[in-house]
Amino acid sequence: MRFSGLVENEILKFARQRRFRVVVLILVALIGLIVFAQSRGRERVLGGKDWHVETQERMARIQNGLRDGRMPASMQRWARFELDRLRYHLDRDINPEAISGPLFARGFANAASYLLLPLLAIVFASDVVSAEFAQGTIKLLLTRPVGRARVLASKLAALGLAITLTVLFGGIVAYVFGGIAYGYGGWTAPVLTGFRVAGERLDPATVRSIVLWLDLVLAYGLAWFAALCVGAIALLTSVLLRSTAAAMGTMLAALIAGTILPRLAPSWEAQKYLFVTNLPLPDYYSGSPPPIAGLTVGLGAAVLAAWALAAVVAAFAVFIRRDVLA
Amino acid sequence: MSANAVLSGSSGAEIVLSAEHLTKRFGDREAVSDVSFDVRAGEVFGFLGPNGAGKTTTIRMLVGLARPDRGTVRIRGIDLARDFRGAMGHVGCIVEAPDLYKYLTGRENLVHFSRMLPDGAAGRIPELAGLVALTERLDDKVATYSLGMRQRLGIAQALLGNPDILILDEPANGLDPAGIREIRQLVRHLAGERGIAVFVSSHLLSEVEQTCDRVAIIHRGRTLATGPVRELLDRVASDRLRFDVRPARRAAEVLAAFGPAETVEGQAGEEGTIHARIPKAKVPEALRALAAAGVEVFAVERALASLEEVFLEVTGGETV
Repeated sequence: MRFSGLVENEILKFARQRRFRVVVLILVALIGLIVFAQSRGRERVLGGKDWHVETQERMARIQNGLRDGRMPASMQRWARFELDRLRYHLDRDINPEAISGPLFARGFANAASYLLLPLLAIVFASDVVSAEFAQGTIKLLLTRPVGRARVLASKLAALGLAITLTVLFGGIVAYVFGGIAYGYGGWTAPVLTGFRVAGERLDPATVRSIVLWLDLVLAYGLAWFAALCVGAIALLTSVLLRSTAAAMGTMLAALIAGTILPRLAPSWEAQKYLFVTNLPLPDYYSGSPPPIAGLTVGLGAAVLAAWALAAVVAAFAVFIRRDVLA
Repeated sequence: MSANAVLSGSSGAEIVLSAEHLTKRFGDREAVSDVSFDVRAGEVFGFLGPNGAGKTTTIRMLVGLARPDRGTVRIRGIDLARDFRGAMGHVGCIVEAPDLYKYLTGRENLVHFSRMLPDGAAGRIPELAGLVALTERLDDKVATYSLGMRQRLGIAQALLGNPDILILDEPANGLDPAGIREIRQLVRHLAGERGIAVFVSSHLLSEVEQTCDRVAIIHRGRTLATGPVRELLDRVASDRLRFDVRPARRAAEVLAAFGPAETVEGQAGEEGTIHARIPKAKVPEALRALAAAGVEVFAVERALASLEEVFLEVTGGETV
């Protein structure tokens, strides 16, 4: 009874249930729709002036600003990065404002980390324990000569794998579909990231230039981490409530609360310690203004990790101790 | 594992499962109170009681799904609460219903559960499929199985680990007569040929009578009686007889001298059925009297007591 055998069991159950195929379909359909809608919209917006001319004018303006010396030091840093970025695109005859396959995939990571990826993680996780109760199979699963902790650990491992594959698959589909519309190249283009909000203005002092593929890996890594943490919390609700519908409902309510709260009560700072507020890690990382003052990637990741860890500990404690009367 | 030392002395009298003073409370209600019994190798042990008597709660404690508030479960001498894995390695069970993964095939279910056992369990799948007559349907999804097939697949699953004790919760529930017969034959085979101890719960006295060697009767969470099935049935059913006779009225007059002859079906001079309570010792005499009176006897049958009658007998008046 090796542990890998138990994990294999859980993967088999994931793979053979309809929800896995549904999740794949959701990702394909949704990303396809976004690409279609976006490319339609852009056709109308673009056009007019030649972008070569426009880019050269922008570069000239920045160079002038750098030369006349009145630009603050923090701004100069940003200006040099931006110059490099524009030159890179001009050298390769690429419109710097144009979207590319990798850029689209990057945007998808940001957009999906709010709701879509956590939602899919919940779809998987809320079922993991409660389905065994609903089917009655929990009675067989827990009367084998395998400790309950090992059974739950194997489920946790399989859940982690399912979430990992989902995030990976989402990224690949976004790249493939984005590539159809915008071309597959552009992996090595520099992107500027790491803006901070200082007061009312964007503070360019902390800005960094980073190659796009690395930026992509970081963004998906953060989205993956957030989804894993949501999965761990959803696993706890599945253990506690023993009903898939109840577990999913609870987690959905939490997710929705997380998107509403920062808008309705932005001044309540304590909400940055809620897990739902910290799901858009890729956004915090790339430097969009955080919804709550004081939120950073580091803090967000730490808060999420703390929630997930507590959830896993509680899930094990309850799962191991509680009588099975289903 | 220390259990191997016990295995060498495998005789008919060896105790495989022992429940000592099991007690389980749900809030204020005591669902199971001080239940004790032993199950020996090679015997089929019946656990008889009406629905809601505490049978399934007891079984949940036997297999570690629920913790007893008091009492101990030992399997081959291993305390279940202390060494769950060591104890459960000797147990195969079906609790409540043969719930398996419906979206997997029979084979996938067996492979799934074999992965939770020591290496080599998967090698027994073909043999076990043959034993429970599922070889041909093994690669179909369990969702397409009849209840009887699920019950048999559940038993195959329970046997994967080569258990010393098989615990089956109401295996006859929901099955048609043919299905019940199959399960009964399988259970007798496992106990008789393989020396496995089988623990079967049931709410049907007839089922226990036909399948089990010994029985414990549970009612309102308490065991009322434990002993060989024959003894129990003799206690409650020994004087109830059914006569198929002609002519019925004449026969009733003759039998009335031996004990209360209760029911007469049929008319004078015609064939009929009489229920009479006649002590076992007087039956031969009664038959001779019937013959002397010119009554034709087609059949004499000892009526099986209902579960209710068993309870009346063992509790001395308390009804189900």
